[in-house]
Amino acid sequence: MVLNSLDKMIQLQKNTANIRNICVLAHVDHGKTTLADCLISSNGIISSRLAGKLRYMDSREDEQIRGITMKSSAISLHYATGNEEYLINLIDSPGHVDFSSEVSTAVRICDGCIIVVDAVEGVCPQTQAVLRQAWLENIRPVLVINKIDRLIVELKFTPQEAYSHLKNILEQINALTGTLFTSKVLEERAERETESQVNPNSEQGEQVYDWSTGLEDTDDSHLYFSPEQGNVVFTSAIDGWGFGIEPFARIYSQKIGIKKEVLMKTLWGDYYINMKAKKIMKGDQAKGKKPLFVQLILENIWSLYDAVLKKDKDKIDKIVTSLGLKIGAREARHSDPKVQINAICNQWLPISHAVLAMVCQKLPSPLDITAERVERLMCTGSQTFDSLPPETQALKAAFMKCGSEDTAPVIIFVSKMFAVDAKALPQNKPRPLTQEEIAQRRERARQRHAEKLAAAQGQAPLEPTQDGSALETCPKGEEPRGDEQQVESMTPKPVLQEENNQESFIAFARVFSGVARRGKKIFVLGPKYSPLEFLRRVPLGFSAPPDGLPQVPHMAYCALENYLLMGRELEYLEEVPPGNVLGIGGLQDFVLKSATLCSLPSCPPFIPLNFEATPIVRVAVEPKHPSEMPQLVKGMKLLNQADPCVQILIQETGEHVLVTAGEVHLQRCLDDLKERFAKIHISVSEPIIPFRETITKPPKVDMVNEEIGKQQKVAVIHQMKEDQSKIPEGIQVDSDGLITITTPNKLATLSVRAMPLPEEVTQILEENSDLIRSMEQLTSSLNEGENTHMIHQKTQEKIWEFKGKLEQHLTGRRWRNIVDQIWSFGPRKCGPNILVNKSEDFQNSVWTGPADKASKEASRYRDLGNSIVSGFQLATLSGPMCEEPLMGVCFVLEKWDLSKFEEQGASDLAKEGQEENETCSGGNENQKLQDGCSEAFEKRTSQKGESPLTDCYGPFSGQLIATMKEACRYALQVKPQRLMAAMYTCDIMATGDVLGRVYAVLSKREGRVLQEEMKEGTDMFIIKAVLPVAESFGFADEIRKRTSGLASPQLVFSHWEIIPSDPFWVPTTEEEYLHFGEKADSENQARKYMNAVRKRKGLYVEEKIVEHAEKQRTLSKNK
Amino acid sequence: MSIFTPTNQIRLTNVAVVRMKRAGKRFEIACYKNKVVGWRSGVEKDLDEVLQTHSVFVNVSKGQVAKKEDLISAFGTDDQTEICKQILTKGEVQVSDKERHTQLEQMFRDIATIVADKCVNPETKRPYTVILIERAMKDIHYSVKTNKSTKQQALEVIKQLKEKMKIERAHMRLRFILPVNEGKKLKEKLKPLIKVIESEDYGQQLEIVCLIDPGCFREIDELIKKETKGKGSLEVLNLKDVEEGDEKFE
Repeated sequence: MVLNSLDKMIQLQKNTANIRNICVLAHVDHGKTTLADCLISSNGIISSRLAGKLRYMDSREDEQIRGITMKSSAISLHYATGNEEYLINLIDSPGHVDFSSEVSTAVRICDGCIIVVDAVEGVCPQTQAVLRQAWLENIRPVLVINKIDRLIVELKFTPQEAYSHLKNILEQINALTGTLFTSKVLEERAERETESQVNPNSEQGEQVYDWSTGLEDTDDSHLYFSPEQGNVVFTSAIDGWGFGIEPFARIYSQKIGIKKEVLMKTLWGDYYINMKAKKIMKGDQAKGKKPLFVQLILENIWSLYDAVLKKDKDKIDKIVTSLGLKIGAREARHSDPKVQINAICNQWLPISHAVLAMVCQKLPSPLDITAERVERLMCTGSQTFDSLPPETQALKAAFMKCGSEDTAPVIIFVSKMFAVDAKALPQNKPRPLTQEEIAQRRERARQRHAEKLAAAQGQAPLEPTQDGSALETCPKGEEPRGDEQQVESMTPKPVLQEENNQESFIAFARVFSGVARRGKKIFVLGPKYSPLEFLRRVPLGFSAPPDGLPQVPHMAYCALENYLLMGRELEYLEEVPPGNVLGIGGLQDFVLKSATLCSLPSCPPFIPLNFEATPIVRVAVEPKHPSEMPQLVKGMKLLNQADPCVQILIQETGEHVLVTAGEVHLQRCLDDLKERFAKIHISVSEPIIPFRETITKPPKVDMVNEEIGKQQKVAVIHQMKEDQSKIPEGIQVDSDGLITITTPNKLATLSVRAMPLPEEVTQILEENSDLIRSMEQLTSSLNEGENTHMIHQKTQEKIWEFKGKLEQHLTGRRWRNIVDQIWSFGPRKCGPNILVNKSEDFQNSVWTGPADKASKEASRYRDLGNSIVSGFQLATLSGPMCEEPLMGVCFVLEKWDLSKFEEQGASDLAKEGQEENETCSGGNENQKLQDGCSEAFEKRTSQKGESPLTDCYGPFSGQLIATMKEACRYALQVKPQRLMAAMYTCDIMATGDVLGRVYAVLSKREGRVLQEEMKEGTDMFIIKAVLPVAESFGFADEIRKRTSGLASPQLVFSHWEIIPSDPFWVPTTEEEYLHFGEKADSENQARKYMNAVRKRKGLYVEEKIVEHAEKQRTLSKNK
Repeated sequence: MSIFTPTNQIRLTNVAVVRMKRAGKRFEIACYKNKVVGWRSGVEKDLDEVLQTHSVFVNVSKGQVAKKEDLISAFGTDDQTEICKQILTKGEVQVSDKERHTQLEQMFRDIATIVADKCVNPETKRPYTVILIERAMKDIHYSVKTNKSTKQQALEVIKQLKEKMKIERAHMRLRFILPVNEGKKLKEKLKPLIKVIESEDYGQQLEIVCLIDPGCFREIDELIKKETKGKGSLEVLNLKDVEEGDEKFE
């Protein structure tokens, strides 16, 4: 029984002043969707008996199963009061914190919102969040206190108690609004302060005046919710009733004979009525009287509930007749009291009327858009409105006017893209229907409709219908239904012939100005588009876009396809006048998530959506069958477009990482991926956590804070044995960590030492990795003897600056002249590790560039040098602890003795014999470790050192690489090694009362709090902490659970931090034994991480397969 | 007494035997299962956690203890614990189930890590993750051989995986610098070995930058050396041609 035809809607859309774009916002389970159901049923789209049970706006299967809304969806409703007809574009939004991004998308395209609060639960965390969001977007809220019936039925409150309870809730909400207001005022003042600091000598007098406009003077009374202002409605959506003060005021003004205006002011508040004097007096509590609200309103409702629940037939009848209602026989006889209440209240106090009337009266139409909001929408980031180009500023007028003339620029904002089955589209490809087809369809629809009508006749769901008899007592009787009209509404829904289960994307959008016509070409401006850039490139006076459109980033050009959003259905529209919410098809190739569409390129993109929750839950996604990778990638791309909040990235490791706002959101994304977008089986795992390896200075104190060296070391035999076994024979180790190692064929000897770099230096290296890379490219191109690449002046300057910085930080005896001797950086020639060459004949540092004296001898030396650098690169790429890259290590090549090699080059014959002797001796461990990468190097350089130096150990240069790599590894191993963990900085906003629990979660996960401060003007604390990435999995969820959603963390990668504990630590001193025991099996964070990585990579882990030999179960051998 | 029937047969549970032949005699010790390998690698340091008893046997399952003089003649001492240690480190071990299992698992992982390290998805030029490779290896029912090196097996796995999924060894980027007169002739010979030629530059010398399969490296290397008689040179620009950095879908 669709009461409103499409034509009617189209007609209504044109009257901009009577359009209301509203959204329903609340905490999860406070009854948004139920309320929406009630409002929808008033339009006859669903039966009023099903309202509240059907959850029409929850079109997804999982939404219905879980009972929570997961996306925002829009529907257009018609409402008539008096002789005014309104079009209400209602957007239902999810309440769960994970989907707050959907709320943002809804709020952006609305002018007003309905805040729903549960009368029992009161203000909840999400209520605060949505209020804040509405506030930030500058939209006007009205309040609905829902589930009043629970106060009666569940809590068994007396009317008096209920009144004070409701008053409490109202106060809480107003307090919240107040905080938002004060924080805004304070912010503005702070801004002004900074401004005045910038130009202190500008108009002293005015400044003083500004200062005084603090909190006290700013008027905030219009912000607050109060029944007497008519922006509060009390409802019970499930029972289908709701009321504001106004209708009651009207009734009682007739009954008691007190002016309506007086009643309006006194029905809510501390007033009581003196029946004898027929006067309203103040101060009910002091005199022990009932307030008016209780006496005149609540008690009536209570008595109705009482009568129905007790099945007091007579009383019910009395009430019904006194209210002048007509109850269908079926409802009256129904055994379930709920049905009766529903039937009575629905007529007495129809909820849809109460809510929609308030919406129409109190919320602004699109015409009333404030200048403030327009400016905010148009200014991205730190830009101020005045700084925009004049063409853009001119658009503000168009915004304000919201005109529908042809000349008005078309401005549309797309707040999100959502996927629909192509089958659900009213028309996949628009094509005209033949007359017969239309007639046929009409006939079919008529039949179907007649059936439906017959079915509906029995019930009496009575709503204020289209002719708009909006009486306070209920409009009764069935309205004559325009049969013709309804049938028409069925026609524009041709059935799709071809089975096409492709996903199609519809943009969720609103027209801010101009008329969106079908097929009209329009600019699509991405969020990063800058009108300035366009204006710079395109000459002024540019009008019709030619085909040769200049290439401007983040801009595209495409045609529109309009749809009317009707909850689950879409209707096809020719044109959409300004101020309306609409769906736009055909944009999927142009718009990723949100965009601004405009007929003029000078329009700035709207400010990005303000998301309350940033995505933080990271998981790695993989297909069950590796061959299905392409489908997964495609599916993830679609998902990325369909969800405003999700982030998807491919990491360097090849992992496909999905970042979502929370566990519920994650679940939804995975379901979508599995069932809609990718249609494959996928598996989800924790993402791989990167680590870095480094070394430190030897510690001064041991684990029990005793100074090392003071007490005697307990001789631990096996530990000594182990230490020795680490370093194989044939390698000399000095006491200060100098490693001397010879190649397997004994021709070259290298001495290498590892030193930790100061932290600042590592940081500088990290920051300048791009610069280092370009330096490297420069040298390599020069190496080829091509001097075509002249060094750019700026780069050169940067390089000197970089060098200067390094020199500044590398001071002290040990680092003397070291910057000039830097040979290479690693890994990948640009990492945060340094190779320093301290040998005397070294001239080839990174600073000088390649030697111009390219004599034959030098080039030969250079080739060998390359092998050593390659060895260093390999060593830094994978450290000895768990094959992770190194960081902040300086390798110093103290000596390289190649004399034997040169001798040998001279006498080839002698070599043959020499080699024979050497084959038997020499460590062969290199061979084994000379894995994949070095293999290639070894071949490469073998060719460079022209003479064929291949012996049984392979080419000489290859040996050199392997030897250098080994040397670096051993040099590391003799120093105290440490793991470095990636750290997140974590900003947590929390209220004071959950602070303790936030700290508990943080410390459980090895987090460290850096600072904590109170946000000015609110009771929120902002906590800044660092948290290892390795511990962050499930962190967001845990913290939300523990604080019941009152704290929300945001994680951003910040830096690498050394884990202080030694992964190889075992107790060595008496005290340590006492403290940790012999096995020292207390938790060692670093060792835990290291072993986890080693296990993942299939490396050897020093772990016992069986801890207690004797306790092994051998029962399985039951012979 | 010595009739060996099912009823009077006493099964040794939780025992692993380590044997050693010395001076023509066989000596055995009784150890706990799954512990001997741990002792050898130095993870287990407590001897009592490895040995069931400190005595040296001739036959563990029959309970025959070795004679003192045999021990002295074979080991030169009669200190049972010392002999036990010797046998533990040098004798032949019975590898127990869990030990074998962990070894296989470790090798399996190692192979997967090597494969993941060497290979890319040719469409995206990005590596596959180790977990994915492991799953793929299980799909093709690859069984690990303990007597072959993991690297060798990894190459084998790559070959087998190619039939199942889109996987390729990461290309190597090379630069050849060849003398012009021989260059053209040589280029024809090199062509079948090269995957993609990225740039060619005829100047005084022919310079080619190209991508090759790492397996062909040796061949190319030898070819160039032979044909140009040492005049041409070859340089590795990049060992693995993979995408670097994270990519965000937009």
